[in-house]
Amino acid sequence: MTRESSDDRIELVYGSLDMLILRTLLWGPTHGHGIAKTIERMSEEMLKVEHGSLYPALQRLQQEGWIKGEWGVSENNQRAKYYRLTAAGRRQLAAETSRWERFVRAVTSVISPAERGSG
Amino acid sequence: MNKSNHYSLSTYHYLKMSLRRQLAKIGALIWRRRAADDLSEEICAHLALEERENRQLGMPGEEARYAALRRFGNVTQAQERSRDMWKWQWLETLLQDMRYGLRQLRRNPGFTTVAIITLALGIGANTAIFSLIDAVMLRSLPVYDPSRLVVLRWSAHRDRRGPINSSSFGDCDERHGAAIASGCTFPYPLLQAFRSETEVFSGITAFGGPDNLVLGGNGQAMMARGEIVSGDYFSTLGVKAAVGRTIGPADDNPAASPAVVLSYAFWQSAFGGDRLVVGRTILLNSVPFTIAGVAERSFTNLAPGKTQDLWLPIAMELRLNVPWATDLQSLRNWRVVLLGRLAPGISIQRAQAAADVVFRSDVLHGSNPVWQASDNPKIELVPAQQGLTGFRGFFSTPLYVLMFVVGLILLIACANVAGLLLSRAAGRQTEMAVRLAVGAGRRRIVRQLLTESVLLSLAGGALGVLFAYWGVRLIVALVSSSPFGTFPFVVAPDWRVLAFTVSICLLTGIVFGLAPAFRSARLDLTPALKANSPASSLSRRGGLFHLGKSLVVVQVVLSVVVLMGAGLLVRTLRNLRDINPGFDTRNLLLFETDPTLQKYTPSQVQSYYRELQQRLAALPGVISASYSHPALLNGSLTATGFHIEGQPEKKSVPSDTLNIGPGFLSTMRIPLMGGRSFTDEDFEQAAEAAAAEEKAAAAQSKTSHRAAPAQPAVAPPAAALVNQTFARKYFPGQNPLGKQLMEPVPEEGGKASSRKVPRRSWVIVGIIGDTKYENLRREIHPTVFLPISRGGAHFELRTAGNPAALIPSVRHAAEIMNNNLPLFTVQTQTQSIDELLFQERLIARFSTLFGLLALLLACIGLYGVLSYEMARRRREIGIRMALGAEKADVLRMVVGQGIKLALTGVVIGIVGALALTRFLSSLLYGVKPTDPLTFLAISLILIAVALLACYIPARRAAKVDPMVALRYE
Repeated sequence: MTRESSDDRIELVYGSLDMLILRTLLWGPTHGHGIAKTIERMSEEMLKVEHGSLYPALQRLQQEGWIKGEWGVSENNQRAKYYRLTAAGRRQLAAETSRWERFVRAVTSVISPAERGSG
Repeated sequence: MNKSNHYSLSTYHYLKMSLRRQLAKIGALIWRRRAADDLSEEICAHLALEERENRQLGMPGEEARYAALRRFGNVTQAQERSRDMWKWQWLETLLQDMRYGLRQLRRNPGFTTVAIITLALGIGANTAIFSLIDAVMLRSLPVYDPSRLVVLRWSAHRDRRGPINSSSFGDCDERHGAAIASGCTFPYPLLQAFRSETEVFSGITAFGGPDNLVLGGNGQAMMARGEIVSGDYFSTLGVKAAVGRTIGPADDNPAASPAVVLSYAFWQSAFGGDRLVVGRTILLNSVPFTIAGVAERSFTNLAPGKTQDLWLPIAMELRLNVPWATDLQSLRNWRVVLLGRLAPGISIQRAQAAADVVFRSDVLHGSNPVWQASDNPKIELVPAQQGLTGFRGFFSTPLYVLMFVVGLILLIACANVAGLLLSRAAGRQTEMAVRLAVGAGRRRIVRQLLTESVLLSLAGGALGVLFAYWGVRLIVALVSSSPFGTFPFVVAPDWRVLAFTVSICLLTGIVFGLAPAFRSARLDLTPALKANSPASSLSRRGGLFHLGKSLVVVQVVLSVVVLMGAGLLVRTLRNLRDINPGFDTRNLLLFETDPTLQKYTPSQVQSYYRELQQRLAALPGVISASYSHPALLNGSLTATGFHIEGQPEKKSVPSDTLNIGPGFLSTMRIPLMGGRSFTDEDFEQAAEAAAAEEKAAAAQSKTSHRAAPAQPAVAPPAAALVNQTFARKYFPGQNPLGKQLMEPVPEEGGKASSRKVPRRSWVIVGIIGDTKYENLRREIHPTVFLPISRGGAHFELRTAGNPAALIPSVRHAAEIMNNNLPLFTVQTQTQSIDELLFQERLIARFSTLFGLLALLLACIGLYGVLSYEMARRRREIGIRMALGAEKADVLRMVVGQGIKLALTGVVIGIVGALALTRFLSSLLYGVKPTDPLTFLAISLILIAVALLACYIPARRAAKVDPMVALRYE
């Protein structure tokens, strides 16, 4: 499949998908499709998530013990796997969020040094 | 529309197909397959949800599906990547953990070496004993499809009625109790009856023996053990020939030309593995046999530990002049074992029911019934693997005891290494705290630590296998003086031993790693991170230290148990060795010979013995020579009942009997307590009586079917000697000299009244000193000594010096007389006694070895925990000394602490030993399972050794320089 990114949506920075998934699950358990939709909705459709790329990430997060998957029934009465955040996942989210914030602050201060002086 | 539908369906389909293919490649572990199915279902659900949403947005059906697929991206790739996650994660974590673990182990070479050697000793000892148990107990029969092979057992409420010749050669357990009798030897004609049951048995065959045969025509005459088998023996077992052919039904015919099959081992040892032996003629008891072939190498034996050199057809046995090979067709000769192969699809129960019908009709209503219906005789079919016990029982007790002991050793080793890990865990607290703080899951840390301990145990296991290899060789070397000669089992590691070793490695790795690992993972972060000095986190490590102490106590407890057992067994061996057997066992050479196998008549036999005796006595270095049947302290025994003159006619008393030749008492140095010994006239009279009986018996067998109800006469009394126990027990307060003994009156109901031979009688002419007979453990029974008059004999030679040095000249002396009469079981009396004490020696020696090992491990544990404790309290000790504590105080404090642990262990250990040693009582002799002396001695030894283990760390503690200790940190 070829990329057809004629739109102005942003591709994800490597590694940030995990954090986004964890953040999404903070609202409560949901399935893969729900996660994809929530990310799109919350980023006001700015972030482009290829749905297929969610699944390797979900497997990885499960292996780390940060999320846990359980079978349930979706809104269209089909079996779907619902993921929920574990305690370790919550901690991981906190750690990654703070790391991300520091990263953003650092990048911002490099890119816009003016703000640094005022801050 | 159709097309697009098609497309998406095939995508879904492809998705599942590729999954399957991939899985097949990987090897398809069940959980992986399920996980993969889960994943594809999950993705399908995702696509369906997206498609539904698209449709709600107004897209037409197929377009909605297209859009969903587009939005999802490459489905196959997503799946493969997801699967990669599992592979990756799983393998990578493992590799990472292993790499990390190896680094940790390398960083602490001292710790690693001690831990690996400790584990290697534990695992090695277990592997060694288990591989013996495997060889003796678990190895499957070396035949085709052994699970379908059954052995027939009879049982009844009482033993067979009437005169029965029953013999078994230890193929399976027999019982001759009052309430129940059972066995697995049958009269040969029953084989024919069972053979008619072709519906349930695809084959049924018989074997018996082995007989001791003189093998000639192959250089120097030698003894060979020949098993008699029916013609379909090899075909029923599915055993093939390595060279030539096996015996077939055509060979099992009295008119056939005699053929014999050699065992592979005998072919190698006696014929040098020469392939040209096929077709050669050998002599068995002077009868020419043609070697038909050699059995395949794996077919060593059926009953465990029972071996034979060759197999010959049952029909040929009559020609061999074997003493008990009388009429095979008689229903009264119970001496062949029957093996059946179940027909395809037939259950063992069904076959049993069919065999039972045949058996009952034969033994209840046949031509020669041996039971009545009320005796309830029946047949049981037992899988041959279990039914043929052979000598398994002889080895199983020592092996089980040793297995238990090595199990304890392994526990001690585990506790020991756990203690070591624990002290190391204390040093790694900061590391763990850092790892936890940066977000490592506790489970991950536990797994990391367990990986380390399993690595340790695997390394220990690898070294342990090496130890086991030596251990097995050591044990087999020791066993080579067993009553069966060399160890009659093949000890070779097979999948069972391998599986056992690998599983105990993993298990020990987890067992000793678990406690320290959880300890570490349960760590409280803040103090561990903040305060890294041993002094300040002292209180928090109390728990660790407690666990360490308990582990030391556990080790002491277990080693006390092992040592107590060992102590009792060693004392048993000592007690047995210290027994005075009533004769001089030193400088005595023994051997057996049996001229009857070469068709000597009874009078020829006796003159042969006399001449051999004179020739041997004339040899330089020989003081005197005699012979008997059987021999003292040789594992064999004959016993019978005697009627004592003057007692009620039907009463008889049990007594051991021993037939002795001239000069027996003086050669054995058994004292004469009263009366006289045998004279030449006594021996002549006995020989004449034997010859007369033989003649009468021969005459009787010719007219055996004619009942002769005449009351047998009493023969003139022959001379007999009795031992002191006989005199004391049966003639209390009387002088037994001159009293008469008689053969007991035959039991009523039997058909023995048809015998024409006069009833034998004896007069007691002398009383001799008590001697041990069958073995050292058996109490001295009343024993009657009679002049030897028939059969094979054991020779006894009293020598001036080392008896073994005389063997060549003794053999030479015998060869001059007849080089077709081999001497066998040539050994000294001391060797013979050692063989009798085989079990005791094996258990005592190895439990002592293991006991010392346990003691050593426990001391290392004690030493380790105290050293760690001293390192931890360095600062505290420094302060104490700065405040005026003397070196002696510190010494006393440290040693006191260690001794407290040791004492706790000893006390609990004594309680444990009290509970456990009673299971040893059947193995003990002359010592109670709760023998206070042993318990006291072991406790003292343990405390003394523990003191030593405490002293080294205590000395180090006392040398602490207060200034250095206080400045430190």
